[in-house]
Amino acid sequence: MLGAVEVKMLKAAQPDRPDALTWVFLGLGLLLLPVGLYLALAAPPDVNQGYLARIMYLHVPGAWLGYLAFFVTFLYSLLYLFRQDPRYDRVALASAEIGLVFMGLALVTGMLWARPTWGVYWTWEPRLTTTAILFAVYVGYFLLRGAIEDPELRRKAAAAVGILGFINVPISYLSVKWWRSLHQTQSIDLTTGKIHMDPAMLQALLFNLFVFTLLYLGFVRFRSLLAAIEDRQEEA
Amino acid sequence: MRVPAKGWPQVAGGGRVGGVKRVFLLALRDLRLEVRDRSGLLSVLAFFAVMLFIMALALGPEEGPLRRAAPGVLWVALAFGSTLLSTRAFALEVEENTLDDLLLAPGGKEWIYFGKLLFQMLLLLPLALLSLFMAAGLFYLPLERLLSLFLTLALGVLGYASVATFYAGLLSRLRGREVLLPLLLFSLVVPVVLASVRATLGLVEGLPLGEVAPWWQLLLVFDVVYLTASALLFPLVMEG
Amino acid sequence: MLLRLQAISKRFGRDWVVRDLSFTLQRGEVVALLGPNGSGKTTLLRLMAGLLKPTRGKVERLGQALFLANPPAFHRRLTAREHLLYDLAFHGKRGDWEGALVRFGLPEDLPLLAFSSGMRKRLALARLTLLQPDIWLLDEPETALDREGRGLLLATLAEARKGAGIVLATHDRHLVEEVADRALELGAA
Repeated sequence: MLGAVEVKMLKAAQPDRPDALTWVFLGLGLLLLPVGLYLALAAPPDVNQGYLARIMYLHVPGAWLGYLAFFVTFLYSLLYLFRQDPRYDRVALASAEIGLVFMGLALVTGMLWARPTWGVYWTWEPRLTTTAILFAVYVGYFLLRGAIEDPELRRKAAAAVGILGFINVPISYLSVKWWRSLHQTQSIDLTTGKIHMDPAMLQALLFNLFVFTLLYLGFVRFRSLLAAIEDRQEEA
Repeated sequence: MRVPAKGWPQVAGGGRVGGVKRVFLLALRDLRLEVRDRSGLLSVLAFFAVMLFIMALALGPEEGPLRRAAPGVLWVALAFGSTLLSTRAFALEVEENTLDDLLLAPGGKEWIYFGKLLFQMLLLLPLALLSLFMAAGLFYLPLERLLSLFLTLALGVLGYASVATFYAGLLSRLRGREVLLPLLLFSLVVPVVLASVRATLGLVEGLPLGEVAPWWQLLLVFDVVYLTASALLFPLVMEG
Repeated sequence: MLLRLQAISKRFGRDWVVRDLSFTLQRGEVVALLGPNGSGKTTLLRLMAGLLKPTRGKVERLGQALFLANPPAFHRRLTAREHLLYDLAFHGKRGDWEGALVRFGLPEDLPLLAFSSGMRKRLALARLTLLQPDIWLLDEPETALDREGRGLLLATLAEARKGAGIVLATHDRHLVEEVADRALELGAA
């Protein structure tokens, strides 16, 4: 879906303002966000966790879009390296930035949920650890971008980090998983926090996921455009 | 006007120049330069010694806790110490402005990556082995399974160096690379550190090889993935 | 044709260093690159070598290009012999390095640390002679050379042009008159 949309955007010749589709994504996303929150608050509480389970309506879409966003950065970084067209780099940059925000949201909400559930804010669970590592990779991505003045070198270096950082995901997941399994201390498994999904809960979750995706698409398009304007000012 | 008669030049294709030979020669040349300079190597060695010494003091003096902590300390020391060295491979070229001459050599550019990587390995492996012996002395590590320990060192150092060499090349023309490099590197090599620490711990605690082998496999997967990715990306980021 | 630039432009940040430049180099030709400091001579040579990519336009090379930087770049801790041998190996070539060192009057076993800038220039010329590129890109090759060195440079260029094309950036009008077939004048930035 994103692919088709982005290709269309790439073809447009240096627009100054966001196009209609960007406004549709953003407008619809912002409009539906309160609806999603209402649905989340109206959904029945979880049998075991009670109202605490509601944090997942933010947490799950945040984490999901964080990973999606970094995957998009990975793809567009590859495209940039092979085609050398700055437009691909701008989408990679935009997606990484939005991804960092969503991922941060997911990490914070996850910690808030973990404290009452597991008694700790942080645990070395594979998914958590992998997410934290990925977060650190993309913090590095932006520090690197900030440190390089030459635009072409900046794009190339960032693309390399975006690619190498993402292929690390499965390897670090596996390594952390094994690392814990051989090291049995007070083991906390994510499955202990499993939520039994009521249909109303599932609907609310899917609706929020949809809204977040709209917002992601809108923001990425908007941010790419800003990056294009920045580029033009840097060059002018 | 003048004699353009020679016909088209045999434009050097990637395969024409002996690839493997070039890689070895580049690594040996860099080693020669590094040994002639000495100061860099000696300071890294001193860094390892001081770090291991201080960690042993901080965690000691009981034998049990020291031995348990040793693999972690060893690999953290290696990771930190190696960042001091990882910029060397390309700093050699950048200080003298000779990187351009390497990039203009005919054929692909992958050989430069592999040459620099080999150079890193030739520097790091002996240093890692020395630190292992130092750790054995200071942390009461048993060295009966030296061969397996060495295999762990080799796999771990290769994983580390494959990423470090790539980033060092990428950042070679950049000021402030000494700070950025560890930052980018450490988040990527988490699996290497985890797997190496676990494998080392398993070996010194006397676990059967079957229980250590999965960590070696993980290291091997990391090494292969990052070697391939870096070698493919290196020419793309170094050109122009 | 050895080298063709098609309407290339190069920008560093906001500044255009090269604008809309087209150029062809033939085998056997020596072209002088003239212009005041900061007019983009070195940048243009690096674009021709492929060490820089043009912001716009296209660079075509039909042959091996080598770039002689000013001052030339060498590893200080190698000797002249070692440097030439490594360079030959990296380029997959063989050559009479001993003869080249004798011809350019250079000591074999002295680390380059001890070389004067004129000697480094001579070594750079010896290196190019051995590597025999198709396209010679020279940045102020005459600087730091003494009278004898200059004679060696002229002889080297005369010999090289038989099989290659040469572009040299220089401020030395005499050199231009002596060796160049034509000149490309770059304006001030």
